[in-house]
Amino acid sequence: MIDNSTIMEGHIRRQRRYIIITGILLILVVVIACFMMIYGNTIYMPKEIIRILKSDEMKGAAFTIKTLRMPRMLAAVLTGVAFGVAGNTFQKLFGNPLASPDVIGVTSGASVAAVFGILVLRLNGDIISWMAVISGLAVSGIIYMLSRGENFSNGRIILTGIGMQAFLNSLISWMLLKAAEYDVSSALRWLSGSLNGVTMNQIPRLAIAVCFSVGLIIALNRHLQILQLGDSHATVLGVRKGAVRVGLMLCSLLLIAFATSVTGPIASVAFLSGPIASGIVGHGRNNTIASALTGAILVMSSDIVGQYALPSRYPVGVVTGILGAPYLIYLLIRINRRSE
Amino acid sequence: MMNSHVIAAHNIDAGYSNKNILSGISVEIPKNKISVILGANGCGKSTLLKTFARLITPKTGQIILDGKDISLIPSKQIAKTLGMLPQSPVIPEGIRVIDLVSRGRFPYRKFLQSMNKDDYNAIEKAMQIMKITELADCVVDELSGGQRQRVWIALALAQQTDILFLDEPTTFLDIAYQVDILDMLTELNEQYNTTIVMVLHDINLSARYANNLIAMKNGRIIAEGTPQEIVTPKLISDIYGLNCEVIKDPVSKAPMIIPKGRYHSSEMV
Repeated sequence: MIDNSTIMEGHIRRQRRYIIITGILLILVVVIACFMMIYGNTIYMPKEIIRILKSDEMKGAAFTIKTLRMPRMLAAVLTGVAFGVAGNTFQKLFGNPLASPDVIGVTSGASVAAVFGILVLRLNGDIISWMAVISGLAVSGIIYMLSRGENFSNGRIILTGIGMQAFLNSLISWMLLKAAEYDVSSALRWLSGSLNGVTMNQIPRLAIAVCFSVGLIIALNRHLQILQLGDSHATVLGVRKGAVRVGLMLCSLLLIAFATSVTGPIASVAFLSGPIASGIVGHGRNNTIASALTGAILVMSSDIVGQYALPSRYPVGVVTGILGAPYLIYLLIRINRRSE
Repeated sequence: MMNSHVIAAHNIDAGYSNKNILSGISVEIPKNKISVILGANGCGKSTLLKTFARLITPKTGQIILDGKDISLIPSKQIAKTLGMLPQSPVIPEGIRVIDLVSRGRFPYRKFLQSMNKDDYNAIEKAMQIMKITELADCVVDELSGGQRQRVWIALALAQQTDILFLDEPTTFLDIAYQVDILDMLTELNEQYNTTIVMVLHDINLSARYANNLIAMKNGRIIAEGTPQEIVTPKLISDIYGLNCEVIKDPVSKAPMIIPKGRYHSSEMV
C-alpha cells in the first residue's frame, strides 16, 4: 500500500522530470537558434554577432545578420511556437490527432486570404495579416456550420475540414497559376510555407500575438485537461465549457492566422508538435509548453536541413511536409484498424 | 461525519431538443442513503440523473440544492458538493491512473497553483477506497473494464462531494465486478455518509444495495420507498410489463424477483 507521502513524492518526482525535460527542450531551442545566426555562407562568431547587433551598421556582415538571419531565426521560433501550440490545442479539444488546423483547413483558410490579398488585391503589410486572421476565423466558422448536424460530432468536423482543405488549396493553386509573374519560391510559400523573405517589421505583431495567445492557452491548460474527459465531466467538475472552448479556439486561430500571414502554412508542424511533445513529457501530462518548444525546434531544424543539407535549397515547408506525411498515413491506418 | 446537503427536484420537465422525457417530476433524495432509480429502457431514469447533475437543463421546474435553485449557484461551488460518474466518459490517450484521478481535484485548485496537502490526501483516500493504489502508474487504456470503472469512480471520489450520482456504474461488467463495485459504494456510504443516487439495470442487486428505490415509468415517478415496501409483482409488472414472483433473497433478506417467462413455469408441465 502506498501511503500519502509516496503519492506526493511520486508527483513531485514526475514534476521534476517534467521541468528537466522542458529545460532540455528550451536549451535545444536556444542552441539551434544560435546556430541559425552563426551558420550560413559565411560563418560569424558569436562575439561578432553581438557586436553587430549592438551597432548601427547596416552593410556587409551587418546586412546578413540583421536583415537576413535575425528575422529568419525569430520567425522560425515564433511560427514554430504558434503552429505547435495551436495544433496541440486543437487536437486536445477535439480529442483526435487528425483535428489539426493544417489538416482540417483552418491554416488554408488563413492562407487563401493572404494569397488573394497579395496576388489579386496587391496589398502588403499588416492588412494581409488581418485578412488572414479574419479569413481563418470565417473558414473555421463555415467548417463548424457545415459539420453541425442533429448533434455535434468531431468526426464530421474532421471530414468536412479535410474537404474544405482540398477546396481551399485548389483555390490557392489557381490564384498562383494566374499570377504567372510570381516566382516559384513565393508560390511555394503559400502552398507549404517558407522563411524566405521574412522582414524584421513583420516580427513584432507576430510576437505580440504569440505571447498573448500562448499565455492564455497556458492559463487555461487545466481547463483543457478537464474538457478532454468529455462534456459531462467538464460540467460535473465545474468547467464553464462554452466559454473555455471558445477562448481556446480563438487563441489557436489567432496563432495560426498570424503565423500563416508571415511564413505561409508551414506544413505538418501543427500536426506533429503535440504528439511528439506528448511522447517526450509523457501522455496525460500538460504538454502545451513542450509543444511550443517542439514546434520551434521542428521549424528551425527543418529550415537548416532545407537550406544546407540537401543538394538544392528547399523552403522549410517542404522538409516539414516530408516529416508529416508518414505520420498522417500511420494515423489513418491506425484509425482504420480501430474501427474494424 | 454527517453531511447536510440535500438535493431535490421540483416539478421538473426535461428532455432533449424537442422531445420531452420527464414530466412533472418532484422528488427529494434522502440524504446519507443509497437511492437507486429503476425503470424500463427509455423511461427517463438516466435523464433524471443527468438533470440532477445539471448535464441537462430542465425546461420547467428547478433542481434545488440546500434550498437554493442550482442554476443560481456558481459552477465550481456545485462541483464541490455534487459529483457524477457519467456513462462512457472519454479516456485521454495514454493517461496514467494517478493523473486521471488527480483531475477530480479541479474544483479545488487555485489558478496556476500546484497541488497541496489536501489534494494529495483526497487522491490517496479515493484510490484506497476503490483499491487502485497499486495501479497508480498504470496506463488507463490497458486496464480491464472493472479496473477502469474503479478509476473513474476514484476520480469522482477525489472530488470529495457529499452527493454522488452514478449512471449505470456496473454496465458491461461481469457479475463479480458488479458486486465488487456495489460493495465499495456501500462502504463509501457507510464510512463517509455520502448520499449516492444511481441508475442500475439489475432489479435484484438494486433491491439488495439500495436503501431507497425510485421507480419510474414514462417520465414519471410511480413509486418510491424501501425495497421491502415497493418491490411487488404488481410494481414490476407495471414498470417492465413482466410477470414475476417476489421471494426473499436468502443472503440479504431483500426482496428478489423471479421472472416468469412464457416457458419454464411449473403450471405448464
